[in-house]
Amino acid sequence: MHTEKAGLNQHIGKSMNGRTRIRLTGWFFMLVPVVMISVFYFYPMVQALLLSFKSGRGSNLQFVGLDNYTRLLSDTTFLTAVKNTFIYLLIQVPVMLVLALFIAVLLNDDRLRFKGFFRTAIFLPTVTSLVAYSVVFKYMFGADGIVNKFLVKLHLIQEPIQWITDPFWAKITIIIAITWRFTGYNMIFYLSSLQNIDKSVYEAARIDGANAFRQFFTITIPLLKPIILFTTITSTIGTLQLFDEVVNITKGGPGNATMSISQYIYNLSFEYTPDFGYAATVSYSIVLMVVLLTMIQNKIGGDKRS
Amino acid sequence: MKKLMAMLLAGSVLLSACSSDGTEGGSENAVNSGKEADSAPKEITVWAWDPAFNIAAMNVAKEAYAKVKPEVTINVVENAQADIVQKLNTGLNSGSTKGLPNIVLIEDYRAQSFLQAYPDSFYELTDLVKADAFADYKIGPTSVDGKQYGVPFDSGVTGMYVRTDYLEQAGYKLADMQEIDWKKYIEIGKAVKEKTGKSMVTLDPNDLGLIRMMIQSAGAWYTAEDGKTPTIAGNAALKEAFELYKEMMDSGIVKVNSDWSQFVGAFNSGEVATVPTGNWITPSIKAEASQSGKWAVAPLPKLGTTEGSVHASNLGGSSWYVLNVDGKEAAAEFLAKTFASDAELYQTMNTKVGVIGTLKAAASGEAYAAADDYFQGQKVVSDFSAWTEQIPKVNYGMNTYAIEDIMVVAMQAFLGGKDVDTVLKEAQTQADTQIR
Repeated sequence: MHTEKAGLNQHIGKSMNGRTRIRLTGWFFMLVPVVMISVFYFYPMVQALLLSFKSGRGSNLQFVGLDNYTRLLSDTTFLTAVKNTFIYLLIQVPVMLVLALFIAVLLNDDRLRFKGFFRTAIFLPTVTSLVAYSVVFKYMFGADGIVNKFLVKLHLIQEPIQWITDPFWAKITIIIAITWRFTGYNMIFYLSSLQNIDKSVYEAARIDGANAFRQFFTITIPLLKPIILFTTITSTIGTLQLFDEVVNITKGGPGNATMSISQYIYNLSFEYTPDFGYAATVSYSIVLMVVLLTMIQNKIGGDKRS
Repeated sequence: MKKLMAMLLAGSVLLSACSSDGTEGGSENAVNSGKEADSAPKEITVWAWDPAFNIAAMNVAKEAYAKVKPEVTINVVENAQADIVQKLNTGLNSGSTKGLPNIVLIEDYRAQSFLQAYPDSFYELTDLVKADAFADYKIGPTSVDGKQYGVPFDSGVTGMYVRTDYLEQAGYKLADMQEIDWKKYIEIGKAVKEKTGKSMVTLDPNDLGLIRMMIQSAGAWYTAEDGKTPTIAGNAALKEAFELYKEMMDSGIVKVNSDWSQFVGAFNSGEVATVPTGNWITPSIKAEASQSGKWAVAPLPKLGTTEGSVHASNLGGSSWYVLNVDGKEAAAEFLAKTFASDAELYQTMNTKVGVIGTLKAAASGEAYAAADDYFQGQKVVSDFSAWTEQIPKVNYGMNTYAIEDIMVVAMQAFLGGKDVDTVLKEAQTQADTQIR
């Protein structure tokens, strides 16, 4: 054994060829993803950035410098889309994450029966197609839809609620839809990290006389902090890119009441006379917002060391 | 994960456009060029939407052409309109014509947007299509600077589809719907609502088709004659249309819908008494066989106070275009011999499909004079084609849908209680910044 190892060392030490080959193999393996990412990720990103300084109809694009960016600030449609997106962000993300955490803690209880069933049932919306579930929601929340019928029959409301065609209720409908679709997804993250928390920590806390609330706020929350930060960031990014639900449920309406930034980009590129340059500018505004929000969230929720 | 995809789309509109088109078109194009090299039978690919209407009409033309030139194969491909718009935009913008068809159907409201954004991508048809052979109002959208690019196809002439049974229950006759203005229409609507409990009309707040019909009936549009300058503030027809729309909403005679299927459902289930829209709705109205003999078509009401408003307008309608790709001559010849000149063909299309063409010569044919039992023996086609000739010509320009979205917002603000002049002025400002 001893001699064998020494022999191997000697062997590698002797032939520089072997070492170089190993190194080259390593570089080769690295090269494949690097080239792929550069071609399919960085190259389009740089092109899109260049595109955002151009404007024009269809293929007749000209350099306009920062014109697109100044236009952005005076574009009321864009500002409405940003406002809507932030309303979704500020209401939907906290509601969804609290709900997900709550469900995860319930499902983590040892005394709970049929755990697997509940876990599947709550996670299931995540695997449904975005378009399919949006269309179903649209019909459920239609003026003659099942939700209105149900509420009217129960005498909770007198008149059917205009879930889709009223500016206020349309936003609520979108929020309900996204919450239904993504709560289970975030719940799984919480559940998996809850299962990694050592039971003895809770046991010790109980012996010290900490009640359930105390345990939740002083053990569960701090230990879940990294995962809470992670879900907050991914949900924020997801909400900033909201598209399918809005397009399929409300078409952005009524008026611009539910229009999201991504939908506006789509409209600028494919719905109106195409101005790909300005559409790219709007896209970059999302990039900027994601970077800023992530920095803020890291500052508030992140670990001091990182 | 999918959100990441959306992000990618946003970030790299161009790249994804190229790649998807490249793979799709590669094989098709290879087949095309191979055939041409052999000077063997040519293949013409056509993109259109709506199998019950546009595609059915194209198939009628295809059959007719097979008798004249059997060596040409016509391959009709069905695509949703939104998909055609998207594929054309990405394909033409990438500069690669691979995978694009020879002939494509484009809605008149969008035509200028394509013709002007991609000036060299369409094949000029001035020598093959006689502009004066078609209804006047179709020439604006299908030509640029006097050069004809499109073969005008269906008429979007509008009418007021009426349930005469509801009208009678409310104490009115079909005669009371003739030659009225919208004020009178609302008055009748209130009576209908009161007596029958049915709504007078169904509207989608995201689709201002009614406003577009109203303003075109007075020869006005969202933009000026040049098709570029937004004319929203100080547009008398638009202001009156807005006020009428609000009055309808406020008077409770409107059943709100939020998409096409709810729109069709509203009249098929008998929940509304009238449908003011383009003649292309006829097949959808007739789809409910149990209502046969209950419907009639009246002329569109006109704007009461705006001068020059007539009882005829247009909604939708589209035309055929030849793309500047290999096989364009064959494609142009096909259109010239069928849609651009054959009045007989339009008779067949009318009987078989229900298309009302815009070729003037077609209007004198037999099929157009036929009585329709579904509409109580009314000669609806002949009525529609008479109205077609009265449609005021406007220049839709290239920004109809961009402005429409601004107008939808303005309408919401107006319905929410803002002053009409203020909302129109705000819409004007937004349109001025957005359209350049």
